[in-house]
Amino acid sequence: MQDISLHLLDIIENSVRAKAKNIKIRIIRNMQENILRLIVEDDGTGMDAQTLEKAQDPFYTSKVEREKKVGLGIPLVKQNAEATNGSFKMTSEPGFGTVLTVDFQLNHIDRMPLGNLKDTLLGAIIGHPEVDFTIKLISNEGGVEKSFFFETTAIKEELGDIPLTYPDVIEFINQTILEGIQNTNMEDV
Amino acid sequence: MKTLADLKKIREKAQEEMKLRGGNTRIKVVVGMGTSGIAMGAREVMKTFLEEIANRNLTDVLVTQTGEKGLSSLEPVVDVIEEGKPKVTYGNMTPEKVKKVVIEHIVNGRIVSDYVVATGN
Repeated sequence: MQDISLHLLDIIENSVRAKAKNIKIRIIRNMQENILRLIVEDDGTGMDAQTLEKAQDPFYTSKVEREKKVGLGIPLVKQNAEATNGSFKMTSEPGFGTVLTVDFQLNHIDRMPLGNLKDTLLGAIIGHPEVDFTIKLISNEGGVEKSFFFETTAIKEELGDIPLTYPDVIEFINQTILEGIQNTNMEDV
Repeated sequence: MKTLADLKKIREKAQEEMKLRGGNTRIKVVVGMGTSGIAMGAREVMKTFLEEIANRNLTDVLVTQTGEKGLSSLEPVVDVIEEGKPKVTYGNMTPEKVKKVVIEHIVNGRIVSDYVVATGN
């Protein structure tokens, strides 16, 4: 994976595969604490302690045998976070869901760029109409906090039976997320 | 700044259109979004489909994402599913190939056989 938002996409797909109906994503950029933090919380099937440990092992995958080609998503993001003096934490409870917290040291030379967050979020939201997304971007620069909050439930309620792939809806979501990213200075992180 | 009032207008417009043409989804596109697909550029493939749909105003096409499809060496992989016809799977997709599939297959109904890696269910 070349950037953090590709890791985010992979994490989101894990949540979807775990049958999550709600996925909450928070991205926090804090200059004083020198941290770029990614938190993904889902209400999917969750994992017991043993599976949780295995999920962080590069040679494990939850996918069935036929598809057992790659199980590297989680171990890779863990490795990439730790390479920046950051940290990786995953907690889970069967029947309740999973919470993943990944910290990157913001100014570390080995930290990957955040990358194209807009395309990650746009694709995930439209590509999974069955899932409700809550997204919060928070940027703290010199004590000034800027934030962007977005939830898909309000949009879906307003749209009724109009699909998210309706051309004007794609444009609406695209534009809203783009403005949110720009307003929280997340474009070139 | 986009607001929910904009969405209301979009819904009214879409509902009018649906009344006129019956409101069915004609074609479903499914983009494989497993770890290897993502690493091979599936996000850009997804994005290009969405862009093309918006730009060409294709109101009867649905695009979704799915996990690993067991075709890792052919990622990014895309299924195009048209009602009453066998499923067509395209492999090694790029944004350029997506544009061609949209215009040839989705708009004009001609399968782009050069990119097909599987057909049927």
